Amino acid sequence: MEFGFSEEQQKLMAEMRDFCINELPEDYDPEYTGRFQEAETQEFWKQFHQKGVQKGWPTAGWPKKYGGMGFSAMEQAAISSEMSYWGARWGGIMAMTLVAPTVLTSGTEEQREKWIPPIARGEITAFECFTEPDAGSDEANVQLRAVPDGDEYVLNGQKTFISGGTKPDWLYTLCKTADVTPKHRGLSIFMVPGDAPGVSYRPLPTMGGSQQNEIFYDNVRVPKENLLGELNRGFYLAMTTFEFERAAGGGLGARRSMEKIMEYARQEKRNGKPLYQDSKARDMLARMAIHKHLEFLFGWYTAWHRSQRERLGPQHYNSGTLWHRLWQTFDGEKMGQVFGMYTQLRQKSKYARYNGRPGRTWEYMHAIHAAGSPEIRRVVIADRGLGLPRIPRQFNVQINEALKQV
Amino acid sequence: MDFALSEDQEMLKTMARDFLEKECPEAVVRQIETDERGYSPELWRQIAELGWLGISIPEEYGGTGGDAVDLMVIHEEMGRALFPSPHLSTVVLCGHTILEAGSDEQKKELLPKIVNGELILAMALTEPESSWDGKAWDPEGVTVRAVPDGDDYIIDGIKLFVHDAHIADYLLCAARTRDDGPSEEGITLFLVDAKSPGISYELLDTLANRNKQCEVVFDKVKVPKQNIVGELNDGWAPLFKSVKTGAVLLCAQMVGAGQRIEELTVDYAKTRIQFDMPIGINQHVQEHCVQLVIRQDACRYATQYAAWALGQPGQDMEVAMAKAWCSEAFEHICWRAHQVFAGVGTMAVLHIMPLYTRRGIVMENYLGDTPFWLEKVALELEKLPPHMKTKGKPLGLWDPQRKQVPVWEIWREYAESL
Repeated sequence: MEFGFSEEQQKLMAEMRDFCINELPEDYDPEYTGRFQEAETQEFWKQFHQKGVQKGWPTAGWPKKYGGMGFSAMEQAAISSEMSYWGARWGGIMAMTLVAPTVLTSGTEEQREKWIPPIARGEITAFECFTEPDAGSDEANVQLRAVPDGDEYVLNGQKTFISGGTKPDWLYTLCKTADVTPKHRGLSIFMVPGDAPGVSYRPLPTMGGSQQNEIFYDNVRVPKENLLGELNRGFYLAMTTFEFERAAGGGLGARRSMEKIMEYARQEKRNGKPLYQDSKARDMLARMAIHKHLEFLFGWYTAWHRSQRERLGPQHYNSGTLWHRLWQTFDGEKMGQVFGMYTQLRQKSKYARYNGRPGRTWEYMHAIHAAGSPEIRRVVIADRGLGLPRIPRQFNVQINEALKQV
Repeated sequence: MDFALSEDQEMLKTMARDFLEKECPEAVVRQIETDERGYSPELWRQIAELGWLGISIPEEYGGTGGDAVDLMVIHEEMGRALFPSPHLSTVVLCGHTILEAGSDEQKKELLPKIVNGELILAMALTEPESSWDGKAWDPEGVTVRAVPDGDDYIIDGIKLFVHDAHIADYLLCAARTRDDGPSEEGITLFLVDAKSPGISYELLDTLANRNKQCEVVFDKVKVPKQNIVGELNDGWAPLFKSVKTGAVLLCAQMVGAGQRIEELTVDYAKTRIQFDMPIGINQHVQEHCVQLVIRQDACRYATQYAAWALGQPGQDMEVAMAKAWCSEAFEHICWRAHQVFAGVGTMAVLHIMPLYTRRGIVMENYLGDTPFWLEKVALELEKLPPHMKTKGKPLGLWDPQRKQVPVWEIWREYAESL
């Protein structure tokens, strides 16, 4: 058992730290930014990414053949852990963390040649288009159809709650390609150009001010080469994607937010004493620090587990993020109790405390539900992690019908 | 970063589990519960033979020189099996303190006997009034005085919640020997022969019968000067170091117990049939199981980290976090399990849950409860360095003075641009 970082990891992290200190703007403060500014910073992150490419960092975990360094999950986690301390990220983040691994594991050689180099350069932005009005937690219920027509597929349907700020280069789209039972064996993934004729967007602002989109596909024609992996195996690809998405977490970002909040608690006074001496605030700070420490451990456990085996159990990749999300609201509530009526004030109010951060926890609630809400994660842990029974799917239709009769 | 136990530790774990499953099944635990001694001398002899009493004692004193992680492995299994023994008191709270602060003679005299299982020691630290005032584990809480008298010291006062005092050969008593100056610099540790004239014991009527705790009354008890452990007035630091180790080991016991509770609960949810279905098909029941499991995972990681951190410099915060977290989480774990077991889980004789739950009350509060360790976390947080600053060219995007466009205007522009 060893919880320190190895010498190589420390070296890697130190290099990353220097890189971040020198490259990130001195006024950059990830705690205080609103997501809506993403469009303005996209260019900055692209340049940041390109400087990182010279060191090979953004793609460090990829195979050497595709410009990676063949790092283990632990070394990659060391890099992302340090990055999370600084609140830094690579350009085209969705393409990097979601599209690239799936193309690398399941794409054809031509697809890899087409997408991997630009993704590696941080030039491609992508949306993960899975959710539909009737396919939320029930991901397999996707209704957006892809029908073959000559050398092309024709896509018709609608996606919703798709995160992302500006119009992307590619839409990583889960489509229905066969009417089969079980439904998840009839889904496929297509890479659809973001500006393909027939694609239209409608922005959906969230309560936190960040942007999500409704995307409509009206007779969108996509060449057959844009099918990722095998036909009708898309659900498995989507699950791989989810695994990458859910397994990400932990890192030193937790430490950063503790350092920041302590800095604030030292400056701020209450009853003539620093805020951290207030008993309510003290309790909140200590608990918050514990939650963040555990989040860090869950994240590293996932990375370690991944470096030991090829795949994670559903319990592992779910519990880390579930953890993070459960406490996000808890910490928000506690912070609210310390800030009282000031919780209501946004950043721009001249009376705002701590840059309006306490209230923002509530506004950012949408993040809790991305890639599976805590409830569906708990069902997954119960079902696939602990092996608890569930009602077999074939009875769901009957139950639904029976309920209509009541 | 490596979450796995070493090969030797895995072996130790398997050995401990096999031994305890065979020698200390539930029936034995219940039988020892009714025994006034609160432990089994026969099992005590056996674990001495297995080397558990010397696992963290250096080789020169007959031990095997292991670290806190080795201790954690053993205590996890002890917690799982609800193993009743004065191991924590004897080896860790007293043994480690003697190892840390004792003279060469004391170490040579006492440690080999501890390792052999010939001696039982108990730590007499907490007191009635100061425990009630919330200072049980703080240096301010030590008010029992030891007054010099020729070649002796006279100890007078009451110690409360002393584990295993009634079976101990020696008590390691923390007493106040100086009133001026900081309170942690006026505490001296005395090794008191448990049969000294003037000492009397009364067993406390506690929830967990098997954990024998005592009121120990020192009525002008004479202790020779050479029985001071460590320096005069300098006893707090070594004692609290052992308390920290002990707190992490209590976490380990809770992890072991929690693991067993998890297994039993999930198994019951799968096999108990109501409404012609296993109750685990209900999401309310699943919720209890999952909430139990993620807390159990968190207890495990926090404890593993803390056990490792005990051997590292500058990791006091993470050690404090473990006990602060586990104390509360274990209570929650027991509650979740009880919700799944419902009525049968409350049957004192039929079911094992009451043993775990009552034991939980002891483990949560012993060696510092959640508020105590939260305060320690907060003290460490005060020392956190300020966030490091970046030096790149400013973008001007995050300047609070900069005029910011309202979100909704950005939306409208965006919608129009499409």
